Amino acid sequence: MVNYLIRRLLIGCLTLVAITAIIYALIRSMPGSPLTLQMAEVDPSKAISEQDFQQMRRMYGLHKPIHEAYLGWLGSLCRGELGRSISRKQPVTKLIAERIGPTLALSVSSLILTYLLAVPMGLYSVVRSNRPEERCLATGLYMLYSLPSYVAALLLLVLFAVRLRGTAFELPLFGMVSDGHAQLSWWGKLADIAWHMVLPVTCYTYGALAFMARFVKSNMEEVIRQDYIRTARAKGVGSFGVIVVHAFRNTLIPFVTELGLTLPGLLSGSVILEQIFTWPGIGRLFFESIAERDYPTIMGLTLMFSLMTLVFQLLADILYAVVDPRVTFQ
Amino acid sequence: MKTAYWIGVGLCVISLWGGCNRNADPPVTDAGLVSEPVTPATTSPPPTKSTDAASTDAEKSVEVSSAPAAKPQFQLGDMLDPFEAPPLAELDAQANWIDRPVSDGIERLRERQANESTFDTVEKALSIRNDSEESNRLICAALGRLPAHESDVDPNAKLVRHTYIDMKSTNPLMQSSVIEQEIAGMTSFGLFSFDWNFQPFASADSVRSWQSSADRMYDKVVMRDDLTWSDGHPITAHDVEFSFKAIMSKAVPALAVRHGTDKIKWVHAYDDHTLVFFHKEPLATNDWNIFFSSIPKHVYEKSIADDPKMQVSDYHVRLENSPVVGGPYRIASRTFAKDVILEARPDYYMHQGKQVRRAPRFQQIRFLIMTDSSVALLAVKRGDIDEFILQPQQWQSQTKDADFYEKCTKAFGVEWVNFHFLWNCKTPYFSDKRVRQAMSYAFDHEELLKTLLYGLYQPCNGMFHHASAWCPPNAAPSYQQNLDRAEELLQQAGWSDSDGDGVLDKQIDGKLIKFEFTVNCADAAERVAICNLLRESLDQIGVKCNVRPLEFTVLTERGTTHAFEAMFAGLGTGTDPDTSDNIFGTGQDRNYGQYSNPEVDRLFAEGRREFDPEKRRVLYQKIHQLTYDDQPFTWLYYRNSYYAFNKDLRGFVFSPRGPYSYSPGIDSLWKPALH
Repeated sequence: MVNYLIRRLLIGCLTLVAITAIIYALIRSMPGSPLTLQMAEVDPSKAISEQDFQQMRRMYGLHKPIHEAYLGWLGSLCRGELGRSISRKQPVTKLIAERIGPTLALSVSSLILTYLLAVPMGLYSVVRSNRPEERCLATGLYMLYSLPSYVAALLLLVLFAVRLRGTAFELPLFGMVSDGHAQLSWWGKLADIAWHMVLPVTCYTYGALAFMARFVKSNMEEVIRQDYIRTARAKGVGSFGVIVVHAFRNTLIPFVTELGLTLPGLLSGSVILEQIFTWPGIGRLFFESIAERDYPTIMGLTLMFSLMTLVFQLLADILYAVVDPRVTFQ
Repeated sequence: MKTAYWIGVGLCVISLWGGCNRNADPPVTDAGLVSEPVTPATTSPPPTKSTDAASTDAEKSVEVSSAPAAKPQFQLGDMLDPFEAPPLAELDAQANWIDRPVSDGIERLRERQANESTFDTVEKALSIRNDSEESNRLICAALGRLPAHESDVDPNAKLVRHTYIDMKSTNPLMQSSVIEQEIAGMTSFGLFSFDWNFQPFASADSVRSWQSSADRMYDKVVMRDDLTWSDGHPITAHDVEFSFKAIMSKAVPALAVRHGTDKIKWVHAYDDHTLVFFHKEPLATNDWNIFFSSIPKHVYEKSIADDPKMQVSDYHVRLENSPVVGGPYRIASRTFAKDVILEARPDYYMHQGKQVRRAPRFQQIRFLIMTDSSVALLAVKRGDIDEFILQPQQWQSQTKDADFYEKCTKAFGVEWVNFHFLWNCKTPYFSDKRVRQAMSYAFDHEELLKTLLYGLYQPCNGMFHHASAWCPPNAAPSYQQNLDRAEELLQQAGWSDSDGDGVLDKQIDGKLIKFEFTVNCADAAERVAICNLLRESLDQIGVKCNVRPLEFTVLTERGTTHAFEAMFAGLGTGTDPDTSDNIFGTGQDRNYGQYSNPEVDRLFAEGRREFDPEKRRVLYQKIHQLTYDDQPFTWLYYRNSYYAFNKDLRGFVFSPRGPYSYSPGIDSLWKPALH
């Protein structure tokens, strides 16, 4: 087990270096530089002179070749520094720290909600397979799955933030907190954030819910045809015991794989939903950083996403052994 | 295990490299990614290292490959040539000072409005819908008026404005984006301003007198003595001199602000209130070069050497979040991705217990950051936002119903922002002006204006707006589609379908070149549709046009490196006609299409040296005619300003640069008191 972990960690480090090197080379090869947008934003009558432009390139180290610049970044990383955003003039760690909370608030809530709802729905669909109620549920889930979240978001905002304004069902139009948030008690603040989270979490959740419920059902469909399930039924195990204890437990491996792939996505946020709900998350930061060619921020976020993917994949591999005793690390 | 060993060795090498690099490098982490150093934390008061002794990030960055011992030192104003300012008495004796206007934007507007007819009542203006030019005129006339009496103004009013982007710096020297310029306009201290006719004047809020020497080599300004920074220190002429020198320091990244300011030879404060600007040469544009915001000398003079970017050290980070300001508003709070809140400064208009200038009309101005225009429109309809720039389709279809007019109204003004196809004159296709003219004749202007743009915009016929003094009174009209004329011009330029494949071609340098080019545009539906209309128009005359939408950054990069054949773009107007030299002058920074006409260059040079307004006007009118004939652009249309307002808002006045980028701009806005 220890050998396995060491091997995986070392391979993970190598993977991380490879990912960051490739991403770094790609972003530096994209047309434009962090100064391009700054130049474009300036009033046409206030052009930046070539001399100033070159001075700025040197100031931000943009004149260096890619490999030299990458090694510099890697060296700084080894010293625990992610650098400062060129466009936002702030440390990258601070930018990420500011946005990670709001992003996690939505994604973790959505993930928990998705799994809490998807597993019972999936199991119910298996039990009631091909019956009208299962068909209705499946149709409903397919409809949700095919409804773009940005359309749903706008419709929900019009309904709950505009039409139902002034009623008990009113929900906020934008932002993560109300204007008087700072004056609220601790519980008041929590409730305020939760109130603002209702619509974004709904939009985050419903598509994934449809997918996961069908995922659980399709995995279960295979398992309940196995001999050991027939044996369990023959031995007189109740319906609940057969479905949950015998069958569902044996679908956990693909479930864990799915979870391992889903978890890194928790940090990436959603550009469109964050934009619609004016939510201060990671997705917008990443999107804007790419448009601005803000290399330090892009690399900081890439590193974080890569690291999380590797860590969660490792956790998923470890979880395989937990859910399936046949899996060993030898 | 062998693999693990080598991985371990590799990581150690990287770590060591990082460590070694740290020793070899100054504290700057460079390499394009880790862009700025982590300067040792400072606490207030800032470090007292002398400016001469300190070194800068930028220079350290440059020094990475050099010997570490030879660190260049920060020197304030190191881009300036040494200059010894003469004694003031000597200057006064020889200057033959000419008085220049010291004025107040609000008063100027009040004088203008006194001569304007008004709609009968505000109530009636609020009750009508803006569905025609006439209704727009009536709404603007009634709701755009200044208050008749100060008692009509709600002194505790709050204004909520919308912005798509957050500000990145509160330091007025670092401003580049529109939001930063607007906030700097309300918070920073400046001496000069200009009105809706782009007439410059010294602001009566800051200046007692402004004089120019007869030879236009000097400008003397006497500042008021009742000005204070938000920390209580007096604002003096030394602050302006210090700010000028900071802008003209290599390591200070005041890129946008430096343009124009770099035409000034020197700024000297003779005492706390008397200031002289020394010019390098007598130029009509010197009036604009002396426009720059100031920062407080006492706050930055000791810290700028250690952190010339003024954004890295703890001390400067604190100032970024809570800057010392000299304008009517201070920055009360900045919440990331949410809002920026400004609050009126009583110490701006009160001095030693007396009111010495007009109080700001709002107690608070909040910039609400919302990146989605649909949600922002919902917020306007709910009354959460007081003003919002409408997209054309929002103006046309989403703001017509009673739902919108319940709390809002809307208005538009013509803005001198022209959109055009830009031809790269150094390509084989567009080097001949007859080809460029043919493109303008081939394009379906009517379809563009009536269908794609909903009939909302005015056509554009050249460099200067037809309502400006710089446009000749007998200017040629905007182009109309004339395919026969386009084909004739192309034939004259040597383009014909010699091989009968339906596409024009021409022998250039012994090679048969087909007339097939790519037009680039930003990846936005409206712009792609306009380029597609160009493609369809040119198809009819045997010219093949490919449309390539690009990310805005890539589009800009293509423009600056001239790596394009044609481009769809937009340009706002400068305050002085000379600013167009930057776009049409040979080899100029923003001359993306590499247009060159020596006569145009000569006229621009002559224009900036001509002080007689009438003679100067004639020079720019000639430039307009010449560029119309050369067609470096196919000018298409002017984009209007479309705004939704809360019905509580008054004093909205449009200028050719929109409702804010002039004086009084936002100062004319107010909300009525509830009597």
